[in-house]
Amino acid sequence: MSLDPFLLWLESTSLSVWVREEPSIYAFPLILSLHTIGLGFVAGINAVIALRMLGVAGSIPIAELRRFLPTMWASFWLNAVSGVVLLIGYPTKALTNPVFYLKLLLIAGGVLLIRYIAPRVFASDAAGEAAAARMRPLAWAALICWVGAIFAGRLLAYTHSRLLQGI
Amino acid sequence: MEPLQIWLVRLLEQDNPVAPIMRTAWGWPIMESLHFVGLSMLVGAIAIFDLRLLGVGRRIPMAAARRLVPWGLGGFALSILTGITFLMTEPNQYIYNSAFLLKIVFVMVAGLNAAIFALTPFGRQLPDNGGATPRSAKVIATISLCLWVATIVSGRLITFYRPGICKPDEARFVATCIP
Repeated sequence: MSLDPFLLWLESTSLSVWVREEPSIYAFPLILSLHTIGLGFVAGINAVIALRMLGVAGSIPIAELRRFLPTMWASFWLNAVSGVVLLIGYPTKALTNPVFYLKLLLIAGGVLLIRYIAPRVFASDAAGEAAAARMRPLAWAALICWVGAIFAGRLLAYTHSRLLQGI
Repeated sequence: MEPLQIWLVRLLEQDNPVAPIMRTAWGWPIMESLHFVGLSMLVGAIAIFDLRLLGVGRRIPMAAARRLVPWGLGGFALSILTGITFLMTEPNQYIYNSAFLLKIVFVMVAGLNAAIFALTPFGRQLPDNGGATPRSAKVIATISLCLWVATIVSGRLITFYRPGICKPDEARFVATCIP
């Protein structure tokens, strides 16, 4: 079963055409900028949490890092929405590229890890410290997921085999 | 500013060992990825540090938050170094690009802002756990967050302000290449 008829339909929707063809700086360039701002906060805050679990800045009371989760999740949803809009603009480019699915897998990994880590490490300083010591491999895994997602995302610009239906 | 720009491009275009590596299939994509990894490290450290100054995570002593500064500086260094490889490979795509010039201004002002915080009494004697932050420090933190976000935005806009091929001896050079 080919995705092509669906992709052709998606590319003909007015939102898709708008993302690709609207020349305003407040269209595609702004969406891309929002996606990059979100990337910085999602990967950055997750990296700080992982690094703290690995012993960096050990004088930070570990459970207090929970206060930065709302910023991280807000940035995550900013990127989910901006990412879907970018996907609607160029669905063939992403969905025919295996690297895009790798990026989604790495993001899913990072999300599952922080959802598993947060309630254990942020329960209290003492319990969190013990949990962090136990879960160091997961902290490494989180770092690998977010760095990998950045690489995969960047490579999307270079590895696509098709741009649009017919191109 | 044109003579300075022309001089800079000529200087950067001189034989350098970076450009051939960057022009391989993997050179540019890997450097871009590392540029974004550095960006994330910087933003992560900045987010914790500046939001702490603004009152998020008040149980974190400022001395502890400062431990993240080397990681932020490390991320910044990674982005600067990878950024220089782009600049050395395609100098005229940046030197004549108004988005890039704006980005450099944002980075320099952000650096100045951080230096003011680090080197003047504004950043000294901040309260530890739970204490309120002086207004001056909150202003500096807000400016810092805004400037780094502006740096990201202007960086992303570089692609949309590409000047085309710019050679100083071409007739339309001033019209198309000087922002």
